[in-house]
Amino acid sequence: MAGILETPFLWVIATIAIYAVAYWGYGKWIDRNIWRSDAKKTTPAHMYMDGVEYFPVSRYVLWGYQFKSVAALGPILGPFIGITYGWLPALLWIIGGNFFIGWLQDYGSMMLSVRKEGRSFGPITYEFTGAKGRTNLLAFVLFYLIIISAAFIALIAVFWNSFNGTTFVPTIGILIAGLLCGQLLYRVKMNVFAVTGIGLALVVLSLYLGTILPVKLPWGTWNVAVWGGICVLILYLAAILPTPTFIQPTNYLAFYPAYAAIILIIVGALATPFTNVTIKLPAGPFLNDPQGTLGPIWPILFVAIACGAISGWHSLVSSSSSSKQLDIETDALPVGGGAMLSEGLLALASLIAYMVLTPLFVFGDGSAANPAHSNIAAWPVGAAALVAPILGIQATAAILTTFFGLVLVIYALTVQALVTRFFRLVAGETWGEGRFRALGNKHVATAVGLGVPWAFAVTGSWWALWLYFGGANQLLAGLAIMLITIHLARVRARSRYSLVPAVFMVITTLAALVWQTATFAYSVWAYLQNDKTWILRNVRPPIQTDPNLLWAAIVINAVFVIIGAVLFAVGLSMAVRLFRSYSKSLAEARTRAPAAADGGTQEK
Amino acid sequence: MGDSKEPPSEKTRARKVKEGVKGVFYGMAAHGHVTAALRTRMYLEHLFMFITLGDMLGVPVIPPYYSLKILPYAVPNIKSWKQRVFRERDFTDQVF
Repeated sequence: MAGILETPFLWVIATIAIYAVAYWGYGKWIDRNIWRSDAKKTTPAHMYMDGVEYFPVSRYVLWGYQFKSVAALGPILGPFIGITYGWLPALLWIIGGNFFIGWLQDYGSMMLSVRKEGRSFGPITYEFTGAKGRTNLLAFVLFYLIIISAAFIALIAVFWNSFNGTTFVPTIGILIAGLLCGQLLYRVKMNVFAVTGIGLALVVLSLYLGTILPVKLPWGTWNVAVWGGICVLILYLAAILPTPTFIQPTNYLAFYPAYAAIILIIVGALATPFTNVTIKLPAGPFLNDPQGTLGPIWPILFVAIACGAISGWHSLVSSSSSSKQLDIETDALPVGGGAMLSEGLLALASLIAYMVLTPLFVFGDGSAANPAHSNIAAWPVGAAALVAPILGIQATAAILTTFFGLVLVIYALTVQALVTRFFRLVAGETWGEGRFRALGNKHVATAVGLGVPWAFAVTGSWWALWLYFGGANQLLAGLAIMLITIHLARVRARSRYSLVPAVFMVITTLAALVWQTATFAYSVWAYLQNDKTWILRNVRPPIQTDPNLLWAAIVINAVFVIIGAVLFAVGLSMAVRLFRSYSKSLAEARTRAPAAADGGTQEK
Repeated sequence: MGDSKEPPSEKTRARKVKEGVKGVFYGMAAHGHVTAALRTRMYLEHLFMFITLGDMLGVPVIPPYYSLKILPYAVPNIKSWKQRVFRERDFTDQVF
């Protein structure tokens, strides 16, 4: 039996204990004293009940729905970049970020929407900042969706290219099983349990087939680009076909292996004192990336680990559907806050899956064969190492790495299918009328929403995409907390508990965007001074290795400068509008009595 | 009312735990799909109501003779249809 301090066990216990304090201590206090949730107050679910969008749902159901909607790839892959600075800072951010900011945002977004009659962030932004503010948000979300899509397409392509090609057949197996289940469910009207049984049998069969029928492409460094193209075709179909035909049954089937994997790695992490799986990565803290690629711990760590600590995407989920189905106000804490803290545990489990791997395997050595920060397929290997002793099989068994690799692929694919559909709807809203109305067309919008990200995915390095995604996502979180703060100021509730996190998030994420943009700008400048190493560092093979494609490296670096600058400008403009609205709200709140309908009462 | 002050029996507690676990599982696996299916049906119903009762909005899609024939079947849905059609909608409502 390994010494208990050499294993991650104590860290798991400590994190669970701190999260318990966050929920039952700080959370309950905020709920009672700041928001003053009232179980007797009518929620939008009752006020506007229509049985479709607005209807009350039990807190257990809504917790499950909220957790499933927020827990995806973020908490699994964010720690991969975060551990660059040592596992200890990454762990402290997962604990502290969630304790003071993460749950507060998810819960606050839900409460804000409930108090605003179930309205989502678009109309609330309009109310607080005017028409320009809402247009600003729309522009920001469009860029944000492009960056998410690029990061996820890159991930799926790399995963299919890894694990000796064993994950492609199971992925196709799940998609075909999903299509079949959709037909059985909606056309043949077969019983849902029977359909689930058939679907899961097909998933298991396709997993087995994946291990004996690996698919390897013959184009060397171009493989990832081709895999990315295949991924885009699948996502195009998913975005165009009716949801009950494709996305819905596929997501339903994907739920089972995805959540089985989560349960397995959490159990694996808790069992480490008995399974002798020890921590191998350095604890840190390293104030700079030891390999000199990513930059300083602040602000990079805080945007690298998004979901699990705090994520802006959650604010959209909390305020769009969950708030319309909240039975009573007091359910917001277990649903919004509880789901976020649970996601923190998922991030912890993922972090542990990296902690038990060797530094060389996780970080690479910077050589052409093993470049820095590129082994994003490390997680399945770590997860297999945690789980293998419990199941009594070898950690190197193909079935285990294929299973965990497949889990990553389906997480990315199912979320990306929804993101692509959302992009299509936002594009329709933005360009539906006027000179550029062709861009609002269903097929054109989907092609743009996948084509542009594909180009980024197959040219830019993965860490660059992930940090831009993290920057945009965390900035959205900062803006969401500012909306919450403005509301609290307007109803004369104490707003400093959300103002401080909002200021921290906005400054940190804007700083991260500046750092990223400056890095790409410096790379282009260095090239003009005859130093090619910087621009090549920021791209992926074959552009990185083929001298004939140097022009592509220059173009992608320049494009990344523009993307960073636009994200920064739009984010800064939005932040300025929100801070102005906040100071105006404070001034107004001092001069008028609190409105009873807002749910606020004068602070004593 | 007096019953509610008594501590819940083991059986009641077990039933509550079972319901909670069932609820969480349903919420994770199916609730999103059920609401998505409901929304799809809602949009189809909107289309049906618009085609059959378009003249209520000043857009006569089918001749009033047929609208009147369908009216008795459509009446029960008019209130909820109006409520949903007039509701403010935004792109941020479409996330899930």
